Amino acid sequence: MAERTVIFEIKRQANPDAPAVWERFEIPWRHGMNVISALMDIAGNPVTADGRQTTPITYDSNCLEEICGSCAMLINGKARMACSALIDNLEQPIRIEPLTKFPLVRDLQVDRSVLFENLKRVKAWVPIDGTYDLGPGPRVYPQQQETNYPLSNCISCTCCMEVCPQFNVETGFVGAATIAQVKLFNNHPTGKVFKEERLRALAGDGGVQECGYAQNCVEACPKQLPLTTAISDIGRDVVVQKVQDWLRS
Amino acid sequence: MATVESPASPQLRSGVEPLRAGQGSSFIWRKLHSLLGIVPIGAFLLEHLLSNYEALKGPLAYGNQVKFLNSLPMVRVLEWVFIFLPLLYHGLYGFYIWLRGKSNVVYYPWAGNWMYTIQRYTGLIALAYIIQHVWRQRFTGVMLPENPYYAFHKVQVELSNPWMLAIYVIAMIAICWHFAYGVWLFAAKWGITPGVNARRRFGYVCIALGIGLACLGLAGIFAFVGPWYPSAPIPTP
Ligand code: HEM
Ligand code: SF4
Ligand code: SF4
Ligand code: FES
Repeated sequence: MAERTVIFEIKRQANPDAPAVWERFEIPWRHGMNVISALMDIAGNPVTADGRQTTPITYDSNCLEEICGSCAMLINGKARMACSALIDNLEQPIRIEPLTKFPLVRDLQVDRSVLFENLKRVKAWVPIDGTYDLGPGPRVYPQQQETNYPLSNCISCTCCMEVCPQFNVETGFVGAATIAQVKLFNNHPTGKVFKEERLRALAGDGGVQECGYAQNCVEACPKQLPLTTAISDIGRDVVVQKVQDWLRS
Repeated sequence: MATVESPASPQLRSGVEPLRAGQGSSFIWRKLHSLLGIVPIGAFLLEHLLSNYEALKGPLAYGNQVKFLNSLPMVRVLEWVFIFLPLLYHGLYGFYIWLRGKSNVVYYPWAGNWMYTIQRYTGLIALAYIIQHVWRQRFTGVMLPENPYYAFHKVQVELSNPWMLAIYVIAMIAICWHFAYGVWLFAAKWGITPGVNARRRFGYVCIALGIGLACLGLAGIFAFVGPWYPSAPIPTP
């Protein structure tokens, strides 16, 4: 019996200005393999299905356990994490493309720094730096933890932004992940010192109002963040904040 | 090796711009669009369908309703401020929202994504329909504000054309769909239904609302084409 193989079609691009080309690979099947392990196999022997020597494929990955958030790509047309995409569950040939909404670096690697920039613009952190020891933080009750823990699971993979119809160059929408982090840090007993600033930031152009509630984000999120609930809650908080600002101005 | 002449990091295309924190005014315009969909546009839709339902009681009752509405104080001002201008704004800004979205329902055929897409098409049907409807029924032909009792006749003549009847039926369903899902969207976006279960339950309420409104509206349409008042003469009150 012939050796069992897996067929890949991978969209490649040598640099941001080079034309995109598709390359086909056929590699030996292994038990429990996933898309990243397959890309590693290809790197070990970068030869296309028709026997032509090529370069190893460039991609981001790190943890290989769906926790670092770096390996998001389009797999059979859908944005998901490559390290948790098991080959046995995928239809072949497996088509792999880079995310489409972020500037391309090379092959499957894209620059997703817009998310980091957005998180900075909403101050998505707990301010504890100072010139003296602030002592222990306030207690977070289990009930609050129940709400906050799911939000803290975000791995900044940007899947929710890739699949969002509103996240594009026309709108410059901030995307669901940042909105969820605003909810997380506004809930935090120390982090909420920036609550008003975060809400005002999110009323700026590209803010929470741009969401059309297509709910793709919550479908796509690999960590099952309650994104639509966060958008709803923050949507209300932003309106309340703006009305208060207006009445107090 | 990376040198000053050939830097290792390639020149990237610019992608989606980060949040313009606290800048600009799109928030207020977008929220206005959302709010106008409920009041006054949605409220007017309810009034309009209820008024048209009067047609089932005959040409005279219908004429009385038209006369009553036109006797409201400052009715011409009300008409512009609470109907035409909000509709125009919601319609045109809605179209602008549509143009700036990047539909991907072919790749991600999920229920919410379908509804997002349908909300845009039903909005477009509504806009096209309302423009012709207002033009033909309000601004041309017999002037109903001055001749309220011609109303039944005017609509009946319009609907005697089977194409026009089809357009009315399609637009009625599209608009009721758009409004019912719009109420659901409004509750979700303004944080009235943040919970998953609340959104699901309110979804059932909105389905009932949509079906109820569509039945009400279609009943109103069939008053003009049904067997009850064929070729109705102009009633004299
Ligand atoms: C019968 C008249 C109409 C009614 C009662 C109505 C009502 C509504 C309501 C209640 C909403 C939800 C608001 C929200 O998204 O927060 C909505 C959304 C929307 N409407 Fe209308 N509408 C009407 C006509 C139109 C027209 C003529 C257009 C033009 C194309 C339009 C385009 C839209 C769009 C694109 C949305 C979605 C906005 C978003 O997803 O953010 N609507 N409408
Ligand atoms: S609900 Fe839809 S429009 Fe809003 S952030 Fe999620 S995917 Fe985007
Ligand atoms: S919210 Fe989910 S999909 Fe979005 S970046 Fe975080 S983990 Fe990824
Ligand atoms: S490699 Fe870390 S999430 Fe896939």
